[in-house]
Amino acid sequence: MTKDLIMRGTRNRFWLAAGLVAVLGSPGVAVAATITGTVNFAGKAPALKPLAMDAEPVCHKKHGGKPAPNEALVLGSGNTMGNIMVWVSKGLPAGKTYPAPKNPVVLNQDGCEYKPHVMGIMVGQTYRILNSDGILHNIHTLPKINASFNRGQPATVKEMTTNFPKPENMFQVKCDVHPWMSAYIGVFTHPFFSVTSTDGKFTISGLDAGSYEITAWHERLGTQTASITVGASDTKTQDFKFAVPGAK
Amino acid sequence: MSDKAVVAPKPHVAHEVHHEELSFWRKYVFSTDHKVIGIQYAVTGLLFLLFGFCLMMLMRWQLAYPGVPLPLIGSLFGEARMPGGTMLPEFYNELGAMHGTIMVFLGVVPLAVGGFGNFVLPLQIGAPDMAFPKINMVSYWCLFLGGITMLGSFFIPGGAAQSGWTSYTPLAVIAGTGQTWWLIGMIFLITSSLLGALNFITTTIQLRAKGLTFMRFPFFCWAQFVTAFLLLLAFPPLEAAGVMQLMDRVAGTSFFLPSGLVVSGQALTNTGGGNPLLWQHLFWFLAHPEVYVLILPGMGIVAEIIANNTRKPLWGYRSMVYSLVFLGFMSFIVWAHHMFMTGMGTAMAAFFQTTTMIISIPSVVILTALIISLWGGSIRFNTPMLFAIAFLPMFGIGGLTGLPLGLNIADIPLHDTYYVIAHFHYVVAPGTIFALMAGIYYWYPKAVGRRMNETLGKIHFAGSLVFMNVIFMPMFIVGLAGVSRRLFDAGSAYDFAQPTMHWNVVSSWGAWSLALFQLPFIFNFFWSIRHGEKVGENPWQATTIEWSAPSPPPHGNFVAAPQAYRGPYEYSVPGAAKDFVPQYEVS
Repeated sequence: MTKDLIMRGTRNRFWLAAGLVAVLGSPGVAVAATITGTVNFAGKAPALKPLAMDAEPVCHKKHGGKPAPNEALVLGSGNTMGNIMVWVSKGLPAGKTYPAPKNPVVLNQDGCEYKPHVMGIMVGQTYRILNSDGILHNIHTLPKINASFNRGQPATVKEMTTNFPKPENMFQVKCDVHPWMSAYIGVFTHPFFSVTSTDGKFTISGLDAGSYEITAWHERLGTQTASITVGASDTKTQDFKFAVPGAK
Repeated sequence: MSDKAVVAPKPHVAHEVHHEELSFWRKYVFSTDHKVIGIQYAVTGLLFLLFGFCLMMLMRWQLAYPGVPLPLIGSLFGEARMPGGTMLPEFYNELGAMHGTIMVFLGVVPLAVGGFGNFVLPLQIGAPDMAFPKINMVSYWCLFLGGITMLGSFFIPGGAAQSGWTSYTPLAVIAGTGQTWWLIGMIFLITSSLLGALNFITTTIQLRAKGLTFMRFPFFCWAQFVTAFLLLLAFPPLEAAGVMQLMDRVAGTSFFLPSGLVVSGQALTNTGGGNPLLWQHLFWFLAHPEVYVLILPGMGIVAEIIANNTRKPLWGYRSMVYSLVFLGFMSFIVWAHHMFMTGMGTAMAAFFQTTTMIISIPSVVILTALIISLWGGSIRFNTPMLFAIAFLPMFGIGGLTGLPLGLNIADIPLHDTYYVIAHFHYVVAPGTIFALMAGIYYWYPKAVGRRMNETLGKIHFAGSLVFMNVIFMPMFIVGLAGVSRRLFDAGSAYDFAQPTMHWNVVSSWGAWSLALFQLPFIFNFFWSIRHGEKVGENPWQATTIEWSAPSPPPHGNFVAAPQAYRGPYEYSVPGAAKDFVPQYEVS
């Protein structure tokens, strides 16, 4: 009887341990590390010229007949910065591969603007391009490593898809019909990237314990890097601050 | 026409030699016989004409119904070209560039020069073959390789060339990989034409039958002879230009790329210093004489058929020949009338518009002589004659509507509009292609030994005449409204083009109907090989030397070397026993 109880207790401990290993070892659970932070703009924000769209009546009307705000510098309260791409640029385990998600990254052309303005995508992941304007657009990517994609999207073609076969840091996507339209995209071999919203916040989660270099990028103000070490279930903060070079 | 016997410079030896039996490959594929090579050229040209026509029919759907998915077959072209069956602008550009290239360099030229020139010219001058039979074979296979390269470019990533058949720089230099294939294909095609031209000139001069002086040449021989000079002198600059553009694309040179070129907001890293206009000069230095390469063989064919079917000599034969030679010469000094928009100085513009006006004179002389040749004739309205007669007004419309484009002040508003498309298609489509069709019906019995079916021929003719005009006449209206020829949606995005949109529907239905009326021809072409009415050596009661050879002619062409005793068009000679006196008969 005693022996049975001892055996049963041993068996229970085994299953408990096995369960813990299974749960903790699975990806995306709390044991993984997270890097978060806020990106701010230092100094007085320069006044950017708004985007006049009166050359394209459909889009002009969508913006209430007024010029649209320039998306090159998007600031929130307290000068937090939107449209900053932050990604893990070094330190990921060598040889480890990360499958591309099945769901696509969507780029919408709406009001003669690209939505979102800055985005990341994984190698091989579907890039879905929508035309919500019902007018002719042209999607012209300007990569250095991947092949350029330069295709017109007439009014009646509401959707096109493509993908990028090689990793590549941020490059521009533009419309040759509407020269003010511009977006930026980075192609990664991993899912550890994040784009700040207007509150300037980013979150990169699911990292293994280790030391990483993370890079923050802005389309005009360049890149900044930081080194950070995280433990197995750490959440660490790394803030960035951008400024116009030479500005006081 | 004189009856005097004239001694030819170099009589050739009669061919009564035995030829060893050739293998299938040597006889029909890698043949050195001008007739087989001529048929190879002709069939290749016809297939490419059909293919280029199909490309155009796809374009016409997009122009008639921009943005509407193409029913049934639209989805076959894939998501990259026609997502959901809707044509993307890039695919339209592919179709446009390749339609022009294929129709000109792989359709009309191979058929008009390679096909008719190879098959008819040696027979018509009484030669046993071309002067350089092996070069002749190489010439065809260069064309074949060029054609395969052009076709293959549709299947590479990014598709075929998209920079128009003119491949203007700097756009063409920075375009996708299809342009590289286009250039390589063009180098093959140009090489083919150069080899052919050398052969034609040498053959014409050296292998004429005894007694066949130049002024006893059928007009067709003159047309091919002058055409060969145009090819020989005009193509080398384009070949050089093609290699230079290729180097700009693949070897980092910048013959045609200017310094500081910014593309899509990014500065190009080429070395710079090149001149985009240099390409235009080199291209049009070929491409304007090329217009006459397209039309002169057609005029030659029409002249033969008109003389034969009116049963009277050509009116003004000598004037026609002199005009032809003058026209060939002048065609080298008019090229820049395609470039008035480049901002050339008024002195240069004045020079080129003057030469352009002058070159219309010999064209008018030839056309007028052909029209007057009909006067008082006892006309036989068979299929070749119907096509030949229809050529006259069609080419007339094409030629006359070209005059405003030759004048700087009128060209500026009309440049690159559908007016230009209508103009040159009238010259080349119901113009040259009608002449080529006339020639096919006319010389088919010589090649096959059987005549094509007349009823089917007349159905083919009637439908073609009506629908060629339904296609192209509305384009004058669209063009005069200012609609650009390059718009993938026919201008549906622009208010000014709205009143013309319905004309695109008319043109497109005309094009599809025209396709329908080619079916009797295609059927007739193959059916008649076995089932056409059998004919002897001279089914049209014609006068020129090719009709003295058996139908089809054997290897070596003639049983005995023919001799020319008189001019080419001795029809209805007073006092003669019959209404034609062949130039190869003693009396």
